[in-house]
Amino acid sequence: MIKVKNLYHSYSNDENYAVDDVSFEISKGEIFGFLGPSGAGKSTTQNILTGLLQLQKGEVEVAGYDVKHIKNKMFNKIGMSFEQSNVYNKMSGLENLEFYGKLFDVDTRNPMELIKMVGLDGKENIKAGKYSKGMKHRLTFARSMINNPELWFLDEPTTGLDPAIASNIKDIIKEENNKGVTIFLTTHNMYIADELCDRVAFIVDGKIRLIDSPKELKLKYGEKLVEVEYLREGKPIKESYSTVVEEEKNQLIKVIKENNIQTMHTKEATLEEIFIKVTGRGLV
Amino acid sequence: MKLWYSFTKELILSSKSWYFYIELGMAIILLLVLLFVVPEDFDSKSEEYMYLDVPQVVKDRYRDNLKDEDLDEESQMVEVEADKRTFQAEFYETDESEIYILDSMEALNAFSSGERVPTVHVRVNEENQIVHTYYLQGYETQKLKNLLLVFHNRKAGYDVIEDYSDNIPVRSLYQNIEPLSDRENVIPVFLTFNGSLMSLFIIAAYIFLDKSEGIIKAYAVTASSVWHYLLSKIGVIIVTSIATSLIITIPIMGLQPNYFAMLLFIITSGFFAASLGLYITSFYKDIIQAFGVLYIVIVIMIMPNISYFTPSWDPDWIKIIPSYVMLQSFKEIISINGNIAYVLVASLGFAVLGLDIFILANHRFKKTLTL
Repeated sequence: MIKVKNLYHSYSNDENYAVDDVSFEISKGEIFGFLGPSGAGKSTTQNILTGLLQLQKGEVEVAGYDVKHIKNKMFNKIGMSFEQSNVYNKMSGLENLEFYGKLFDVDTRNPMELIKMVGLDGKENIKAGKYSKGMKHRLTFARSMINNPELWFLDEPTTGLDPAIASNIKDIIKEENNKGVTIFLTTHNMYIADELCDRVAFIVDGKIRLIDSPKELKLKYGEKLVEVEYLREGKPIKESYSTVVEEEKNQLIKVIKENNIQTMHTKEATLEEIFIKVTGRGLV
Repeated sequence: MKLWYSFTKELILSSKSWYFYIELGMAIILLLVLLFVVPEDFDSKSEEYMYLDVPQVVKDRYRDNLKDEDLDEESQMVEVEADKRTFQAEFYETDESEIYILDSMEALNAFSSGERVPTVHVRVNEENQIVHTYYLQGYETQKLKNLLLVFHNRKAGYDVIEDYSDNIPVRSLYQNIEPLSDRENVIPVFLTFNGSLMSLFIIAAYIFLDKSEGIIKAYAVTASSVWHYLLSKIGVIIVTSIATSLIITIPIMGLQPNYFAMLLFIITSGFFAASLGLYITSFYKDIIQAFGVLYIVIVIMIMPNISYFTPSWDPDWIKIIPSYVMLQSFKEIISINGNIAYVLVASLGFAVLGLDIFILANHRFKKTLTL
């Protein structure tokens, strides 16, 4: 669905690249997470893929279209949900969706269906300018589905939303993906990436450091540990043992045999921990 | 169809914005100014204040001469105020002047010192010669001073003046067309600046507002073209220009103007001005950055006003400034027997030029719309 080969982009038109030799491919039906801290090149890459920035160097194919010679028809196949809400404040939520629906050449979704989907029903006739930040964000998210996109670009889709609504948004993303929609997810939130993505790419300073599935990354980079909590002479003790190192494995068996175990669970490395381990940088 | 949807959406959004009503309100204010502040024709007669400090015989001769030139060949006794005092004066009105003969030197001084107007003291000297003493105010030109000198030394200069004036070629500024009244003459200025040229600045404001709200990004990822977006903005601005122009013109001019030519010219000149505004806008991130260039454009566009109100100053270079052509075209449109061929050629020129600039602006916006 997306093919990117040796992509470069410089805002100053020199060798100072914001995106530096980036290559990756995304298959149809995949959820691909683009993870990186602010200024890493996530948005620049996404803007090139969606035609918001002109392609300077490299080869990019999106939904079967060469981005170098971008055609309006391409946008019938893609949807884009922006991190910053950008709706017409003087139009109601419903009017916003109705207007955008008219700008595509394909069958579009019923605006009210989308309004209900993101929990804005009952507020569809209120001017978007009077919506809260979270409501505007949901409207922007709903708008990106208006043309039934085959390829869906999501930029921080749950940022600023309360947990219940964020959970609803994640459910919608999963549901759309189950229908076969390919999703390009840009985020610095490792939990949503871990939960939703089939594969993730770590990008830092314009370069992709690795691409793999969260599960594989955890297997490769995450140290497998067992955390045990037990009582010794009436006092609670909490210890971690590696399930890989032979000596620690034996110690763990001994602790289990000799003590009254209170809690015991395996501990996986988080994506954030792996990101820091691989890139040497935090995600913020 | 997408262009139509974009246009109607922009129209709805405009109707919901306060700026739209400010434009309409401003047109009404300009109309009221024209109707109630600007006179039908400006009174260009100069006021002259004299004190005749001469024997009665000479006074009578002066009065007889003035009566001969007076419009109704009669003088009137009037009260005039100067320096918070009231004086008696004889009033004569000729084709060119309003002349007040004051009754005392005190009155003359009051006008000269208190009202700061030029006055004339006419007296007879020891050699029985009539002497005119002018109390000028310092702002008079050397030309006027020279003229007074020549006028009072007729023997020396009269022949020369007569000979010179006989050889001055006189060219009528209005040939086949009826001249406009002073009030009507102001209308092209309002139409040019409140209508056509405002498009240049309004489109910049609209685009920068959309940029700051990120709306352009959302539009750019739809199957609609950038030029649809740009042209729909221009369309709304032209509709507003038509409305404001008609608000100003119809109550004053009635059916006299050629409204077909007017609509055509507002559309083409507005399209040109808005395209120019778009092109300038495409180089900048926000209106603060663009303001320097916009300011220079404003100043250049204002310059043809000087030529418009001073027809004798009409250098070739000023004729290539678009607002010059706009002023002249609107003047032709509202005049009886105006030169409509000039308007049509100007419309064609603005349409072609506007289209070229629009294509350039569209090309630039594709690159910079989301920056």
